[in-house]
Amino acid sequence: MTDAEPGTEAQNDGAVTAATSRRRFLRGSAIGAAGVAVGAAAGFGITEAVRPAETKVAPTAFEIESARANRVVDFYGPRQAGVVTPQQDRLMFATFDLTTTDVDEVARLLGRWSAMAARFTEGKLLTDAEVRPGAAPYDTGEAMDLGPYSLTITVGFGPSLFDDRFGLKDKMPAALKPLTGLAGDSALRPELSDGDLCIQACADDPQVVFHAIRNMSRAARGTAVLRWSQLGFGRASATGAGQSTPRNLFGFKDGTNNIHADDTPALADHVWVGEESDQDWMVDGSYLVARKIRMEIEQWDTDNISDQERIFGRIKTTGAPLTGGDEFTPIDFQAKDDTDAPVIDIASHVRLSSPEENNGIRILRRGYNYTDGQDSRTGKLAAGLFFISFQQHPDQFRVLQNRLGSNDSLNEYIAHIGSGLFACPPGVSASGDWFGKALFT
Amino acid sequence: MFSSRALGRAKVAAAVAATALVLSACGSSDEAGSTPAATTTAGATTASDAVTVDGSPESSETAGATGGETTGGSQAAGEPGIVTITVTEADGCVASPDTVPAGPITFNVTNVDAAGVTEVEVVSEQRIRGERENLAPGFDASFSVKLDGGSYEVYCPGATTERQPFTVTGEAAVTTGNIADLLQQATVDYAAYIDDQTGFLVDATKPLVAAIKAGNLEEAQKAYATARVFYERIEPVAESFGDLDPAIDLRIGDVEAGVEWTGFHPIEKALFEGKTTKGLDKLADKLMADILDLQARAKELGANTSADTKGADRYKPDEVANGAVGLLAEVQQSKISGEEEAYSRIDLLDFEANVEGSTQAFAVLRPALDEIDPELAKNISTKFDTLQALLATHKDPKQIGGYTLFPDLSDKDLKALADALAAVAEPLAKISGKIATA
Ligand code: HEM
Repeated sequence: MTDAEPGTEAQNDGAVTAATSRRRFLRGSAIGAAGVAVGAAAGFGITEAVRPAETKVAPTAFEIESARANRVVDFYGPRQAGVVTPQQDRLMFATFDLTTTDVDEVARLLGRWSAMAARFTEGKLLTDAEVRPGAAPYDTGEAMDLGPYSLTITVGFGPSLFDDRFGLKDKMPAALKPLTGLAGDSALRPELSDGDLCIQACADDPQVVFHAIRNMSRAARGTAVLRWSQLGFGRASATGAGQSTPRNLFGFKDGTNNIHADDTPALADHVWVGEESDQDWMVDGSYLVARKIRMEIEQWDTDNISDQERIFGRIKTTGAPLTGGDEFTPIDFQAKDDTDAPVIDIASHVRLSSPEENNGIRILRRGYNYTDGQDSRTGKLAAGLFFISFQQHPDQFRVLQNRLGSNDSLNEYIAHIGSGLFACPPGVSASGDWFGKALFT
Repeated sequence: MFSSRALGRAKVAAAVAATALVLSACGSSDEAGSTPAATTTAGATTASDAVTVDGSPESSETAGATGGETTGGSQAAGEPGIVTITVTEADGCVASPDTVPAGPITFNVTNVDAAGVTEVEVVSEQRIRGERENLAPGFDASFSVKLDGGSYEVYCPGATTERQPFTVTGEAAVTTGNIADLLQQATVDYAAYIDDQTGFLVDATKPLVAAIKAGNLEEAQKAYATARVFYERIEPVAESFGDLDPAIDLRIGDVEAGVEWTGFHPIEKALFEGKTTKGLDKLADKLMADILDLQARAKELGANTSADTKGADRYKPDEVANGAVGLLAEVQQSKISGEEEAYSRIDLLDFEANVEGSTQAFAVLRPALDEIDPELAKNISTKFDTLQALLATHKDPKQIGGYTLFPDLSDKDLKALADALAAVAEPLAKISGKIATA
């Protein structure tokens, strides 16, 4: 375990660097070592010590895990992390209702969240200060000894932030009008929808994302309350260049035709807000749409394979389009079969959502599989897709959802039960800056 | 007496110990040649002028009031001193200049990027002389305070370096009151409160026993609800007598196999689910006996506390503070979930009683806390008011217990209550740390 081990190298993306293990920090003395590339083994000192020397296989797995644990995604930058960042394995998403009516309190909360995010994403505790005897700990502690695991914290503002309470009406982007009246909205539940603020925490470890949201909502007590939240256990999209395509809970590869991190022109055209925005504070930001989509798992499981493949327009095992080739072969929407019917069904998911059928519209999908266990009344598995997409303008989502919501064959097996639209401001530039500073000052 | 406490705190860091020792000696340190105060900025002479950065009038009042209390001996004239306090992740809390002459001083605070720091205090003799709460990274704030000559500390809880010595040259202050005395008084007041409540509990249990024995179900149900209130207010005290709380307040799910289920809840089950008083005589007698026992034991604690008997079992200030938090934790655990009163469904009455008990514990500590940390005290009391106002909206005189029954509360009601509760619990939990170091 030296400097040459994988954790100390940039992975996938220039923004990813190795971190000093937090255990180092906790052991006391090494305060101020942030950013110093220490042998990442420090984070796994115990494992290292007890590992039998003759083991040949373990070190590899250990090194891989160590590299994963110690990977840092830069928090400060012109754009928020957690959008084009190679998608991590775990999600916790939370939205908040503000209880304060004082706009300065809102700003201070965002200041606090920014500084916390800067530390958490480096795998540090809320503070290195020792806890006074008799006082409650500053940090809740459950991420101690874990690495940063590529944690990203992405913050967004809901349309309701711009109502009468905070005097922000004039700063509301026209694009942020509430996401209502779309096809497929009939099962939406208010208690799983909307919110004044949102936080998307993604990392390669479930406890790391939970810790971030927990401490940030603790910091909000007295100012804002959790409205709803969602854990996602497996990524259901690929955003990193060369990242393998994972599968959603219907068993299909999801994220094949996504906008990927290295596709700079597509990101500029479809994902990042530019000078076209009516609000300067949103330039270099992006609009986040979240949809909690329940899957009717038990019904789906009885559907035959050819119907499943017709519904998506792709082969289940390989992800290749029904028109042939491999996963990344372009789909031939013109192709006809022997009976002169389109090979890619007119009601198939990929046809209805494709740029070819939607005047070139594309979005960046960054969803997660979720389960809430079991529905307490029906006993069915309560699971589905926690769909997240980023786009330059929410209308991109609106157009696609209206088409899908009214025609998609998939609708028989899904129901949208939660929804939220959030304006994610540009990145936090450096310490002293905070989420949305240009909006509030 | 302060010196030993100051030394206790020295665990935190060696550097702090040195400061603390200086503090305990605490003379005025008007050495010649101390740095002259910056006097370049005129105009910020009053507290309310000074707190312009974020324009929070609340803080300016408080900062002003804090300063006002302790300015007796000051003879400072002329323009105010300006001190810049910079809080950073890397260096903690740094004041510049660190020596100023006595008089009105404006502290301009910038939290650059310290996520753990939400307040800065100017402290001497464990008392906060001036402070600014609610700091956030990326924000400036300021407060003004009149300081007399002496040794102070600039204290930023949660910073990497939390304390920095700060010197005011000039005449020393005449200190008022003594925090240790105030804390002792708090325990005496708490003992008196507990004595009252246990007395009321005894008085309220008697009619319950009588109604049961007379076979009057309706009366017994009402008496049950009345008695519960007094018990729930003082639950942490009962819990401190290990065996008594289980005997009085165990729920069916917590009864170990082979142990008899006694106390309020089997009676509740019979009265509200079985709708009968039959077969309860023995349980009622046992409850009465246990409650008399509770009263006797609490009386002894109270007597030791009032007599300030060293070494004896007595109420301690930090226990009172922890009790206040504990009562709210009770609510969070069993009342907000409707698990406490499974048969009578008067959970909200218990909720109110726990909150009331917590408020009273806070109230007895308040005089000391007003000296130690007036802003915290004010914040807690505002949040208690909010919670109590919210509870009051669920009053329903038609119900036994006077509150909406648990099953009739909507999920939205419960969430609002839980959120208001958490908003008090968070600052309330800070008290014991504050008085432990005072
Ligand atoms: C449970 C619900 C959903 C499931 C299971 C699902 C699954 C899939 C799958 C398997 C693909 C093909 C692989 C790929 O290119 O990524 C796909 C593509 C796509 N989906 Fe979905 N999806 C769901 C909901 C949505 C929603 C709500 C939207 C937007 C409103 C959407 C937009 C898209 C887009 C834009 C594509 C790429 C189409 C292309 O260019 O080929 N999906 N989805």
